[in-house]
Amino acid sequence: MTDAHRAIDAVWKLEAAKIIGGLTRMVHDVGLAEELAQDALVAALEQWPESGVPDNPGAWLMAIAKRRAVDHIRRARLAESKQAQLVQDQQDDDSADSGDDDVLRLMFITCSPVLAPKDRAALTLRLLGGLSAAEIARAFLTTELNITQRIAAAKRTLAEHERSRTADIPAILEVIYLIFNEGYSATSGDDLMRPGLCLEALRLGRMLATLAPQEAEVHGLVALMEIQASRQAARTGPSGEPIQLHEQDRGRWDPVLIRRGFTAMLRARDIGGTPGPYVLQAAIAVCHAQARTAQDTDWIQISNLYTALVRLLPTPVVQLNRAVAMGRAYGPEAGLALADRLVDDPALRDYHLLPSVRGDLLEQVGRHEEARLEYQRAAALTKNAAERAFLARRAASIVPASTGPTLGDATRDFLARPDLNAATVHSYGQTLRRLSRALGEQLPLRSLKSEHVARVFATAWQDAAPRTWNRHRSAIRSFAVWAELAGLDADLDWRTESSSGTPALDPVRLEAVWALDVPVRERVLWRLLHESGAAVTTVLSVNVEDIDFDDRRARTGRSWVSWRSATAGLLPRLTAGRTRGPLFLADRRPVPARMPAPGDLCPETGRGRLSYPRAEYLFKQATRRIDPAGRGYTLKQLRAGNRTRSDTSP
Amino acid sequence: MRYMMMTMRDENEAAPDEKLFVEMGKFVEELSAAGILVATGGLDPDGMLMTVKDGELTVTDGPYAEAKETVGGFALVDVRSKDELEEIARRFFAITGGGVSRVHQVFG
Repeated sequence: MTDAHRAIDAVWKLEAAKIIGGLTRMVHDVGLAEELAQDALVAALEQWPESGVPDNPGAWLMAIAKRRAVDHIRRARLAESKQAQLVQDQQDDDSADSGDDDVLRLMFITCSPVLAPKDRAALTLRLLGGLSAAEIARAFLTTELNITQRIAAAKRTLAEHERSRTADIPAILEVIYLIFNEGYSATSGDDLMRPGLCLEALRLGRMLATLAPQEAEVHGLVALMEIQASRQAARTGPSGEPIQLHEQDRGRWDPVLIRRGFTAMLRARDIGGTPGPYVLQAAIAVCHAQARTAQDTDWIQISNLYTALVRLLPTPVVQLNRAVAMGRAYGPEAGLALADRLVDDPALRDYHLLPSVRGDLLEQVGRHEEARLEYQRAAALTKNAAERAFLARRAASIVPASTGPTLGDATRDFLARPDLNAATVHSYGQTLRRLSRALGEQLPLRSLKSEHVARVFATAWQDAAPRTWNRHRSAIRSFAVWAELAGLDADLDWRTESSSGTPALDPVRLEAVWALDVPVRERVLWRLLHESGAAVTTVLSVNVEDIDFDDRRARTGRSWVSWRSATAGLLPRLTAGRTRGPLFLADRRPVPARMPAPGDLCPETGRGRLSYPRAEYLFKQATRRIDPAGRGYTLKQLRAGNRTRSDTSP
Repeated sequence: MRYMMMTMRDENEAAPDEKLFVEMGKFVEELSAAGILVATGGLDPDGMLMTVKDGELTVTDGPYAEAKETVGGFALVDVRSKDELEEIARRFFAITGGGVSRVHQVFG
């Protein structure tokens, strides 16, 4: 093409709709209108290389074409002797701002229901987008001759159906979306997309939005196309393979198109009314566009929108998409239940996305063998080479049969171990259930890595107290040993537990504690803890037979616990003639099911040793009244006070 | 394909009259509706110069270069082809009555 050719072509694509629309109003025949416009293009080709491109090339072309049209009408009308009508028509032609109506009327004609859907698309691209037959042929993967013949046939059909040939807005939307989809997801061929068609559809949609601004569905379609087009760069990988929405790099989504989509959606919302199918589909696209990560996607909202959409558009494809959304919102079983209902739908018998979706859901619920078969089926059904390769890879990634236990299986088995006590099961359970929820129960255990665990810890417990963090870390270490996954805790640091959580009780508070009216057992325990500075468990393990009353000390294991006068004065009242068994006894006798070890049982009273949790509880309850914070103190605070004092005193 | 058009400031240029404002407004509106014009704006003639050396940021207030060399305004356009870009530029300069634009294709 020469420079002039290319310049004319660019002008033509921008102006074709207006020029052919205006001419069609004059001559009432799109075929003739296009011929007249072509004549004007030939004139431009003759004159522009000499004279240069005129300042307003569109107006120049329109003027030439109109002159030809008037000539044509004059000849025709002379033959029919209808001069009066001609004058009237010419006055109409000069009326200002009729261009928009002309273009809209032209759209109604090219999207006429008397034409086959593909012919509507071809004619619309030709007359409103200014595409050549060769360009349309390339877009629809057919020959130029085929398109030329098709367009000629379409024009003839329109001429024959002069009265019943106009479409309505929904029919135009359908044609535009058909063009978009042809470009967005090629039904066949080696390229997944032919973006040129997407751009043409977007231009047509935006054009229609300026021509019919009060139609919410028009803005809905524009929003839908803008947002879908925004993902173009992210939809395919380096070798042309499709990348599913939830795995796309959202940084590659085009923010300009997303913003335009949101703007169009706001216009649709401003118009109001019951949302139509395009507005609902656009709302779904908006949900995806708003999610910063795939995990942030509001699947509940999306499945609600699909539920509304399926009422207006109960097509199998919409139902399938609803199944996907339900699967994400309410778990793979919910999605699978819906998808299974579609298996017998004849319309989907050869639709590759049904087995592809089912494969995905089956894999999630752990039915691996069935999933593999579905992926293979989907690969066999798709006509798109890149997609076929992708599906074949997914099928191959499922190792036939035994893929080993999942994280969910392992968690259940681990917690069911007989050697774990109830408290440990509860504690470990918290850790491992969080892991399962974050990573998926179906995650094969062998693919669980330390970085997964570290990520879960960072999101769940980054700000937790060091002790809580370490407790979860211990659970992971124990699980790793059991599951033979060495190094699972490699990315989890041990955190220093500061003792600042248990500040010592100051002398004023201590005096308040001593003044409490409590049973002698409590008074001895508290005094002993304070005076000995020994650990709570150590103090509770003291037995009567090990007490040396004179030296104010008792042997516990290999060490000694010693006390001073306050304890010594109270102690005989607590032992009260007992010679053996635990010094601190529980209030009641143990039930047979929870009988303690013989060493923790008093041979004289039959009662068990006082437990740490019970002692702690009683202390907390008793001191709640005197704690300014109202929470009550802990036994450790008694020790801490003693230690601090003895450290500072000479 | 997207292009960034940067129109150079012309010191001798007459102040824009109302007619130019009206025509340019209509042009911008049409191009925006068609999705061709993505973003546009005028630029402050003085500006700032930001330099980072050895991790240290230095900001120098303008004007800092020959006035002829400064960008007065920009337009980010989304077009079918380079030919369409030329047609858009032709229409733009038909309204301003001439001028100079630096144009670069925008990737990514």
